[in-house]
Amino acid sequence: MVRFLKGRRELPEGLRRAYLLVLAPAAIVAPLPLFWTDGANRLALVAYEIGIALLWWRARVGRPVRLSDAAQNVLGLAYIGWLGLETATLRLGLLRSVSHLLLFTAMAKLASLKRPSEARLALLILFLLTLASASSSTHVSSLAYFVVMGWLAFRTLSRVAVLADFDQAPPERVLASVPTSGVSVVAVAGGVVCAVPLFFALPRLHGPFVVAPFRVDDAFSKAMTADRVDLESFGAAKRSDRVILRLSARPTLPAADGLRLREAVFTEYQDGSWLRDPWRGSRREPSAFRGDAAVASRPGSWVVAADLNVFGQGFLFLPYGTTAIRVEKGRASELPEGVMQVSSRGTVHYEADVLREPARGKGRAVILRADVPPEVQKYAIELTSDLSDPTLIYRRIESHLLKDFVYTLEPPRAKGDPITHFLLRSKAGHCEYFASAAAMMLTARGIPARLVTGSYGGEEGFLSDSIVVRGENLHAWVEADLDGTGFQVLDPTPPAGVPPAMRAFSLMSRLVAFGREIEFFYDRRILGFDAGDQIGAVESLRESVGDATGALAAWRQTAKDFLSPRTTTTLLLAAAAGMLALLLARRIGARPSPATQAYLILRRLLGRRRGILPQSMPPAEVARLFGREVPPGARDAAEVVEIYTASAFGGMEPTPERLRQLKERIARLRKLA
Amino acid sequence: MTRLIPDWEIRITNFGLGYILLCLVVAIAATNTGNNGLYLVLAAMLAAMVVSGMLSRRNVRSVRCQIETVGEVVATRPAWLKLRFENQLSGTAQALFFLHEALPGPLWIDPLKPGETRELIVEGTFPRRGVHQTADAGLLSRFPLGLFRKYRKAALAREIVVYPLPLASGVPEVPTDEAPGGRPHSLARGGGSDIRTLRDFSPGDDPRDLHWKQSARMRRLIVREREAERDRVLFLAIDNAFTWPPDAAALERFEQTIARCAGQALLLLSRGGEVGLHARGVKVAARSGRAQRLRILDALARLEPVPKESAEDFPAMRRGDVRWFVS
Repeated sequence: MVRFLKGRRELPEGLRRAYLLVLAPAAIVAPLPLFWTDGANRLALVAYEIGIALLWWRARVGRPVRLSDAAQNVLGLAYIGWLGLETATLRLGLLRSVSHLLLFTAMAKLASLKRPSEARLALLILFLLTLASASSSTHVSSLAYFVVMGWLAFRTLSRVAVLADFDQAPPERVLASVPTSGVSVVAVAGGVVCAVPLFFALPRLHGPFVVAPFRVDDAFSKAMTADRVDLESFGAAKRSDRVILRLSARPTLPAADGLRLREAVFTEYQDGSWLRDPWRGSRREPSAFRGDAAVASRPGSWVVAADLNVFGQGFLFLPYGTTAIRVEKGRASELPEGVMQVSSRGTVHYEADVLREPARGKGRAVILRADVPPEVQKYAIELTSDLSDPTLIYRRIESHLLKDFVYTLEPPRAKGDPITHFLLRSKAGHCEYFASAAAMMLTARGIPARLVTGSYGGEEGFLSDSIVVRGENLHAWVEADLDGTGFQVLDPTPPAGVPPAMRAFSLMSRLVAFGREIEFFYDRRILGFDAGDQIGAVESLRESVGDATGALAAWRQTAKDFLSPRTTTTLLLAAAAGMLALLLARRIGARPSPATQAYLILRRLLGRRRGILPQSMPPAEVARLFGREVPPGARDAAEVVEIYTASAFGGMEPTPERLRQLKERIARLRKLA
Repeated sequence: MTRLIPDWEIRITNFGLGYILLCLVVAIAATNTGNNGLYLVLAAMLAAMVVSGMLSRRNVRSVRCQIETVGEVVATRPAWLKLRFENQLSGTAQALFFLHEALPGPLWIDPLKPGETRELIVEGTFPRRGVHQTADAGLLSRFPLGLFRKYRKAALAREIVVYPLPLASGVPEVPTDEAPGGRPHSLARGGGSDIRTLRDFSPGDDPRDLHWKQSARMRRLIVREREAERDRVLFLAIDNAFTWPPDAAALERFEQTIARCAGQALLLLSRGGEVGLHARGVKVAARSGRAQRLRILDALARLEPVPKESAEDFPAMRRGDVRWFVS
């Protein structure tokens, strides 16, 4: 059966106002990430936000804006001209041009809503804006954006769905009542619960589109990603709080020893910059890094697992004493001096088998004396001319740097060679200055030395026993062969400049750490998630299932061994007794009220005289029949029934006094019956 | 846009189709670019479909709706409908519209709290006479995201009989008593002046009707039983047999005939006459009064065209009764 309802043409003003009120909040929030991702001109974004806010305000005060068709046409034509200029001359990039077009279209569409279909079109444009924002944003705050947009989208779509069935302006209460806050919370929470597995299960055919959490404009990248590293940029890298890696160890890593992670070795110094030349020498597969499963079980050894945000050339941070390494994806290559490099992009997970032994640097490359600036050579000789023992020479250098130099992350800018400037003039610098100067001076005195960069220390993870290494943990030190036993680790940086091995945490810092955990998770598991991770997850699942099956089988065997027939019988009897006790307790718990009990007694007494009473017999009939059977008890029976009906059907529980009388009546009735 | 009272329970909307299409577009974009931002959007869109399905299912299915009419319902004239909504859900049922053919458009129902029962009385107009055994009405919702429309039929507390709208037309002349056929004796007891018979007194008889002379003779109380006052009986007749299948014009004329018949019946009854109704296979005995008015209107509301070939004859009449074919 069909029934035609009223047709619909142009939106009446009230309904247009309702659509604007519904769409405007989402329109305001949708392009916000473009502010930070540089996906649109900020001026254009500000103009858009002001425009939408104005439309919203006008709708709120009951005067929704409605551009005439002529104005729309003029604006559209003008924008086409601008678009041509933008793409042909300004060349802002595709994302920016598209974003600008979407911003303009969204605003124009909202300012000229005529039909419900146009409201849906505006919704589509807002969705595309959201898509542009989501796909261009790589910051962890995108997660907050997704949640907020999820909530706003649910709210907006619910209300648009309601408005679709209105021909006229809906009453004010309609939009306010849909959706209820409880349903919104349930929907967003349910959406998150469903979306998380879907996100990880959706098939990946390509590597992640965006992987590096390190922005191009991070000074960090300049210091840590290039093979040519100048000293000045290292301080900026140390000021960054970006997460470099997170590592955990089995057994727990001894913080004081294990937190010095070696990343690169520098032996060439030219024009004020350290060079690392990974191509020097033959590049070969890491023979020294073959997996050795037995290592972890040896006393004094442990397995370190790390998630590293790979940047630049993909050098791994490895503890001293690493004997084997396993990389989750990509290929690891061993470079001279024990440096490892991976071919992966984004974030890489690797495990290193580490022997606890005195820290000794691998390889034989050292700084050549010819690379040491003459001023530094002269300075070193003046400082240590009276000493010949390498250890004492180093002690003198270390003491000198400690007493006469200042540690700072912002050293005065050098004119000429930075190390010379550091030693002779500024006497202020950060760890790389101290380490470089010490290495140079040791070299000047003929002691084999080199500069090593990596990290030192870290922070406890908030939710796990892992250690998070951030930019401020970057460090530089010296490896020198003082006594012919190999390259020892020498750290000439004053204590103020050595990153703390482990931090003491306040509540605030724990919250900050929690934020970093989320950030790391976002970088590692969301932004950089790819097919390899999916395969890894499936394998982990398979292993977990296998482990669980094995554990179950072992448990069954144990149970079989433990449970003799006698024990089994005892246990079954105990379980049966427990069940019985539970049933009894439940029965006692469900005991009827005194009034009902009294009525049941009355029924039972009557039943004894008249046979089985039908369940459907009403209480009044019970009282009447009992009165007929036992006339002296008629009054008591009637009273019992009255109390029962008042209790069972009227919700009026008898007073203690009436209860007492009830008991007496029942006792009398028993005697009479 | 024309919208209908649906004969389905769930249907995807155009918006829903567009949404699915968008999901495909985003899926292709995400797969081709490997952009995890797009994967997040895609996952959120798919999750939204799941959540939407669950919420809407609970939202509509949990609400019971019952309809009954208040007073008489006449075609094309406003009538009162009592609607009763009961939310059996543990959550709030929201974004519900009530659809009924008697209403000019969807009726917005404010959110129903868990367990809430609400009664509304609305004014509606039924377009044509007839009997509604089932409700051509129900609850429609696009909640939450508008991807699907879900509909649940309402239940009727009892059948709704829509009487035809009485049309004024010429009233048939009732033949006088002297006309051929004469005035028959009334078979019914009543308060007229003519005596129908004498019988024993029974409790409830009017003492003024005691026949004292006969009572004295019989030595027991005898009362006069009087005939009912009545004019000659008139049966309005409608020929509801049609060459099958009837065309639209014939059906329209049939409806007009019924409407005129209703008008004539009401007018005659209002004058105190006894009126009955004859059609093929239908007979309403001639009576007067308000109850007869309802009987005739009810019969007219239920009157359906029948094929001429299988149509029954008109009911037989008693001597003196008059049958008037309404045309």
